Amino acid sequence: MSSEPLDFNKVVILDGAMGTVLQSRGLKPGGVPELLNLEQPELLRGVYHDYIAAGSDVIYANTFGANALKLARTGKSVGKIVSAAIALAKDAAAGTGVRVALDIGPLGELLEPMGTLPFERAYELFREIALAGAAAGADLAVIETMTDLYEAKAALLAVKENTGLPVLVTMSFEASGRTFTGCTVASMAHTLTGLGADAIGLNCSLGPDKLAPLMRELCEHTPLPVIAKPNAGLPDPVDGHYDMDAQSFAQILAPLADAGVSVFGGCCGTSPDYVRGVAERLKGRTPVKRTVRREGFVCTPVRPLPLTGVRVIGERINPTGKKRFQQALLDNDLDYILDVAVAQEDAGADILDVNVGYPGVDEVSMLPRVVEALQGTVPLPLMLDSSNAKALEAALRVYNGKAVVNSVNGDTEVLERVLPIIRKYGAAVVGLTLDKGGVPQTAEQRFAIAKCILDAALSYGIPREDVWIDCLTLTVSAQQEQARETLRALRMVREELGLQTVLGVSNISFGLPNRPLVTRTFLIEALHAGLTLPILNPNQTELMDAIAAFRVLSGEDEACRAYVERFADYEPPKAGTSVIVSSAKSGKTEKSASAPLTLDEAVVRGLKTEAAALAREALQNESELALVDDHLIPALDRVGEGYEAGKVFLPQLLSAAQAAQAVFEVIRASLAEKGGASVKRGALVVATVRGDVHDIGKNIVKTVLENYGYDVLDLGRDVAPEMIVDAVREKGIRLVGLSALMTTTLGAMEETVKRLRALPQPPKVFVGGAVVTPEYARRIGADYYAKDAKASVEVAREVLQ
Amino acid sequence: MRADIDEILRYLRVRGETPADLRERVERTADELAETLRPQYVYRAFPLTHQPDGILLSGGAMLPGALAEKMLRGCDTAVLLCCTLGLDFERRLRALERRDMGAAVILDACGSAWVETGCDMAEAEIAERFAPRFLTDRFSPGYGDLPLSLQPFVLAALDAERRLGIHLSESFLMTPAKSVTAILGVADEPQPARVRGCGYCAMKQTCEYRKGGTSCVV
Repeated sequence: MSSEPLDFNKVVILDGAMGTVLQSRGLKPGGVPELLNLEQPELLRGVYHDYIAAGSDVIYANTFGANALKLARTGKSVGKIVSAAIALAKDAAAGTGVRVALDIGPLGELLEPMGTLPFERAYELFREIALAGAAAGADLAVIETMTDLYEAKAALLAVKENTGLPVLVTMSFEASGRTFTGCTVASMAHTLTGLGADAIGLNCSLGPDKLAPLMRELCEHTPLPVIAKPNAGLPDPVDGHYDMDAQSFAQILAPLADAGVSVFGGCCGTSPDYVRGVAERLKGRTPVKRTVRREGFVCTPVRPLPLTGVRVIGERINPTGKKRFQQALLDNDLDYILDVAVAQEDAGADILDVNVGYPGVDEVSMLPRVVEALQGTVPLPLMLDSSNAKALEAALRVYNGKAVVNSVNGDTEVLERVLPIIRKYGAAVVGLTLDKGGVPQTAEQRFAIAKCILDAALSYGIPREDVWIDCLTLTVSAQQEQARETLRALRMVREELGLQTVLGVSNISFGLPNRPLVTRTFLIEALHAGLTLPILNPNQTELMDAIAAFRVLSGEDEACRAYVERFADYEPPKAGTSVIVSSAKSGKTEKSASAPLTLDEAVVRGLKTEAAALAREALQNESELALVDDHLIPALDRVGEGYEAGKVFLPQLLSAAQAAQAVFEVIRASLAEKGGASVKRGALVVATVRGDVHDIGKNIVKTVLENYGYDVLDLGRDVAPEMIVDAVREKGIRLVGLSALMTTTLGAMEETVKRLRALPQPPKVFVGGAVVTPEYARRIGADYYAKDAKASVEVAREVLQ
Repeated sequence: MRADIDEILRYLRVRGETPADLRERVERTADELAETLRPQYVYRAFPLTHQPDGILLSGGAMLPGALAEKMLRGCDTAVLLCCTLGLDFERRLRALERRDMGAAVILDACGSAWVETGCDMAEAEIAERFAPRFLTDRFSPGYGDLPLSLQPFVLAALDAERRLGIHLSESFLMTPAKSVTAILGVADEPQPARVRGCGYCAMKQTCEYRKGGTSCVV
């Protein structure tokens, strides 16, 4: 190992392409380049020598694809390939001062949730490479050509947690400014900076010309050294030849040094000549100083959220005081939680608070599970809300992007327990202005705690923009003078410390009549006092309206665009104009004369909102069960018959099913309030079989079955037979639905049926999917063939009646 | 340009008279998709030789079987093509599935038609590149006796993981799901249509249209 670490106070020159050069020297396309480490060491030695001669300060060892997945069919181990590769490169670099990098490329399989590779499995695969590289004596690790931020995170954690090697991370972007998985430059920058990369940048996919604007953007978003390693232009579509020569490449690339880029190299299509051109222009230069934006930031890959105005944090993912939510947590009903999230997203939340703390719920396993499920469904950044440090760490580990943790406070023990985790995962953190002595009564005391939390965070290396302060709302009807103190403390924190401020506003009005009025008035006052991150229920339209108006007055909503759009259809309220008007006095539903709407019809026509409203009305006179049996099921049957007759088509069938779903949700909420049993008609499992990732057909079946009141346990897609068997055994399931779309996955369906048949109490099995035929269903021993979702309802009726 | 509306309605298994509001929803969805998402594609030409056991492409892949033989008769070059709507479409579809399953199946069908339209765009570009020579019809691994197991080769030859973000599962499924690989032959003579009709289709046993005595005109 070289004694000195890589010096980023000077421009660093990396190498150029390996694959392109190997191909030009005889490697067949489609061959495994990593095998050359064992088979043709002289060829590689030549490439290394040429890059060193061209001026590279760092050469990448030939280990890009040396992971256990890609090497599986070669019969060679990761350890063997990596140690041979590093030894060769070190040999070539001996005596030159050039550093040898362990090169880590993508695994070649897509991670969850878009793909099927679990995060921790990816971590293990990278860990194996990192350990092998460190053992072989690599000077540093480079993680490159990543298009999935989640995969980059797994690799970065694996290197940092298992070796002491410095790590460079580069990702590949399209000209659109996003990677294939939708990651933005800003999201990448903040996430990888927070996770402790030593330098970050972009490589591959584009030439230096197209990459330039993205490089400039990256320079604004990270204080780390920035790397540019572009392709030699674009490949010709017919013959694959790259179109930029070495001279133009260097000429276009070099000016990026003035924007703050300080690490340079080349990717596909480049060669030692390209690197020489760049080295001649830049080697030894002192990097320019640049200004980095420091406004505060959280993100998911697809949703960067700079904190440059009011950002609404949705508070609804929280079981406190919500029976339906508590029930969902105890039942592991993630779908309900996801629906709560989606509703908040649609209502305009920017960040979602996630709290799953409830007696009987293991937060350490539940919080990361919920985070993963949410990240597969909503693009919004998350606020992880727990006082359990283990749960926080487990959730931060699987979180994709930069999250915020809610919360720490002035208590030293809490700070010492949580801040190291915040630092390690690069999250932001909310500090509550209270300590062991409780909530101080004066603004000055709360400010003092805020300052103490900030100092503690800074001492751990957490940047000040990542510290958000909550000055705490107390109920005004109980401690009237405290409303002023909260607002005063808030103003002090904002003006004197310049920090982001968080405040849950809803509690202010507890115990008072017309709570929304008090809450809204307080919200507006707090915004004027400098509140940037209100925590509230975004489904309360009057609060979101107030924020829309505030954004106009503060100038954040440029040209009032968002406000005008929000109220484009606004009409002053007039009596008797809406279709359904809930009248507080009569407790009955009025309908406009032109369109009398019954619950049954609302379901048939797929009118979700109306159906739910009518169900709420109906429940005042009818029981939950009667609602299901007398209205819901007959309405769904009517739609089903129309579908059979070819008069109603699939989209309409599904819209009706979802209207029914809304009615069911009303019924469930009503039952949960009463603490009564559910109206479920029996449980079944559905899954798309192993190897099959196309699941819309299965989802259609699930939607329809749920809306007939069946409790559908959806195991997802690409589900291994043993997982299905386990679920059936654990829950005593009597019916299983399996879907397969491709001829190549029918084998997995057959195997699953066989295993289910072998159980002591085998469940009934129905199968379907594009390539499944009735004959095939019989042959593999399934009990039923369901040609469509409607047919699956018939099966469920027969089996689960 | 937008996707073929009648084709989308066929994917949705709409037979007989299409309700006007349904057709309108489909048109609106297809238009919005066309305005907001461009199909991405890459292609590459490979000289080929006719061998006793199949068609050998430069770079080493062998296309076995009667279909490849029939399609590429008289051709000296094969163009491999991959077209995708990307994960962006996948994300939109999932977001919609949670909100409105009826709208989601419409979007799904629009996506299937739109990626085919993307292949048409690519084909037009390829035809221009090779003019005045002629192209055969497109055909794909999984059609007739051309095995799906060619997918890894086609995607590797196109460097499709790196250039389009395509991943292939062990059972040869592509992610993003709305992705198509295809092969076109290049010849000096005009090429007659050669793959038409249900005989080439993997769906022939379960096809709703065949049961109804019609076809989807693949």
